[in-house]
Amino acid sequence: MANINTSAQDRTFDAIVIGSGISGGWAAKEFTEKGLKTLVLERGRDVKHLKDYPTTNKYPWEFPHGGQIPEAIKEEAPVVSRCYAFKEDAMHFFVKDKEHPYEQDKPFDWIRGYQVGGKSLLWARQTQRWSDYDFEGPARDGFAVDWPIRYADIAPWYSYVEKFVGISGNKDGIDNLPDGEFLPPIELTAVEQYFQKFVKDNYKDRHVIYGRCAHLTEPQKIHIEQGRVQCQKRNLCQRGCPFGGYFSSNSSTLPWAEKTGNLTLRPHSVVHSVIYDEKKGKATGVRVVDAKTKEMTEYYARVIFVNASAINSNLILLNSTSSRFPNGLGNDSGVLGKYFAFHNYRATIYADHDGHMDVTTDGRRPTSAYIPRFRNVKKQETDFLRGYAAGFDTGRRKWNSQDGVGKSLKDNLFNEEMGNWYVGSHMMGETIPKEISQLTLDKDKKDEWGMPVIHVNMGYDDNDEKMIKDFHEQMTEMYTKAGFTNIRTGDSKQAPGLDIHEMGGARMGKDPKTSVLNKWNQLHDVNNVFVTDGACMTSTSTQNPSLTYMALTARAVDYAVSQMKKGEI
Amino acid sequence: MLINRRTALKQVLVVSAGLAFLPSCVRKTTPASISLKNIAVDGEGENMLALLADTLIPTTSTPGAKDVKAHLFALTMVDDCFNKEDQQKWAAGMKAFAELSEKKNGKSFEKSTPEARIALLEQLEKSKAEEGGAAYFYHATKHLIIRGYTNSEFYLTKVQVYELVPGRFHGSVPVKPVSRRTA
Repeated sequence: MANINTSAQDRTFDAIVIGSGISGGWAAKEFTEKGLKTLVLERGRDVKHLKDYPTTNKYPWEFPHGGQIPEAIKEEAPVVSRCYAFKEDAMHFFVKDKEHPYEQDKPFDWIRGYQVGGKSLLWARQTQRWSDYDFEGPARDGFAVDWPIRYADIAPWYSYVEKFVGISGNKDGIDNLPDGEFLPPIELTAVEQYFQKFVKDNYKDRHVIYGRCAHLTEPQKIHIEQGRVQCQKRNLCQRGCPFGGYFSSNSSTLPWAEKTGNLTLRPHSVVHSVIYDEKKGKATGVRVVDAKTKEMTEYYARVIFVNASAINSNLILLNSTSSRFPNGLGNDSGVLGKYFAFHNYRATIYADHDGHMDVTTDGRRPTSAYIPRFRNVKKQETDFLRGYAAGFDTGRRKWNSQDGVGKSLKDNLFNEEMGNWYVGSHMMGETIPKEISQLTLDKDKKDEWGMPVIHVNMGYDDNDEKMIKDFHEQMTEMYTKAGFTNIRTGDSKQAPGLDIHEMGGARMGKDPKTSVLNKWNQLHDVNNVFVTDGACMTSTSTQNPSLTYMALTARAVDYAVSQMKKGEI
Repeated sequence: MLINRRTALKQVLVVSAGLAFLPSCVRKTTPASISLKNIAVDGEGENMLALLADTLIPTTSTPGAKDVKAHLFALTMVDDCFNKEDQQKWAAGMKAFAELSEKKNGKSFEKSTPEARIALLEQLEKSKAEEGGAAYFYHATKHLIIRGYTNSEFYLTKVQVYELVPGRFHGSVPVKPVSRRTA
């Protein structure tokens, strides 16, 4: 045993955080800042800011395949190869299918980043707040269960994390997409500004806004203290940013936690289960399988935060069985692993624009425009539930003619041609969590680390199909009226999961009989275990969820620490 | 008899081993300068691709495709990023391309005059990749050579400058008229 010389005392902390991604990083920062000795367990390797971004300063010609993924890797890893960010410059930050098998009872593309920082290195950095129109959705429309919180509960925590993260945005004054603490926005293009004005003039409740994003457009003191500087608009974020221009656990929360002297980060640590002590009626620690040696070690703490990413947090809880909790930790309700959901990203719509030919764009931009949800916001108005937000992006077409042979071809390659504008939008649809949408553990199959293989069983439903149709219809109407031409609707038919917004399974709720977590993200049945990543989501709404995970995490740590001080935990 | 037969068999073996060895001695095949995993292209094939690159995008006062090793990029891409089926189509197409040169110019592509090479490529320009054979090889390879050229350090520092750190985005700037450049 490698740990024979480490006493249980050496393996005891005030808090354990499982996972170092976007929410785990926040838990680490908050606990360590509050003076708690905190152990962060990460199943993958360490990735240190600046030091472990091997491709970050590479020029295009330094990639042997021009950025493309070789066929041998695609064949071995068809799932991750479908992800838009899985390219030659960032493939080292993604899990290849074979390394970590899972069972797709229905097609599900599970995109994973197993390293310190997790997917916070790779995220699309869109940060839109939820409003009460989102939190009240399940109660109003009669699905899932009522959220145990409202906007007022989370609003101060949104502000709290936004100031630290650094969010670029405009105060748009839209009641279903509340304003936040914003750094200056980056410009919209001429055509986006045109469409923004067109939509404002022609639709009462529809808006085109600048997509709020986690980029330092004007760093404040708090960001400089983190060692981060202004976003340089490289748009190479997935490589890890040498400027810390966008937010990640690696560039921000983890080094911040480290500076307190209270952080112990243990990479290569696969959490097997949470240890439950029947006499104490509490969790006392976690069992960790060393990813390299496969040895199991126990670590102990007064409070445990589960931030392993939505599916893996469910897996750990389901695998934490005891005679008190034979079906998974805190699963008296029987809903753990159920009511799993995602975002419907299947629909797109592209068009041309022949106006604004006298102007173009200059430089690069790490975000785009955004269309907040306008369907069924204040009342039910369509034959499907809920609605969709949309990304909106435009640019001038530029290319080099590839015609000719010899000198004429070479001349063509030396002269860039400019065409009209392209216009594109993609749907981000809310999906309805259902009991049949489930995560379950395989009874026999185990992975290399002795963890049961997880089954994902989730698909599109009629509501999703109707929503795609409506997106195409509404956007076609808006595009047509705005004068865009050559309108092309698309349906990628992509499997759930490729949206990389999987949520639920350990949902929050008021009633312990129908939910796993209470309003503080605390297990109803085990008061020193909290889940604050995607697994906690009661419903999905349409916003990119990371900002909400971060706010819920900071809020839950604050609560947990106050309870610890009172001796409740 | 038995001994004789054994001797005879030995001789046959020696002779066939010699025969098997002979062509490679005569043709003096050299391997390609880069290691290939999936396709069989030797030094001669590589030279042909270099010449194709040079014919497509020639060296002028500025480097051409061969100078920036765009043909090696093309070879790497076919070897690593084409699926098996496309690799076979490409290899068969390469052979068809060599044969087409013999048929049209009476000479290999390498031994043809520069004018004859250009003429051959201009003829293939009119074809479509879907026709397969030499047409597929030509269009696929041209596409990769252009990609290799426009992704090269020369091109991205001297022709269309790639900015690693642009530090700016402007959503609406006037389109400036540019006069046509000569390569």
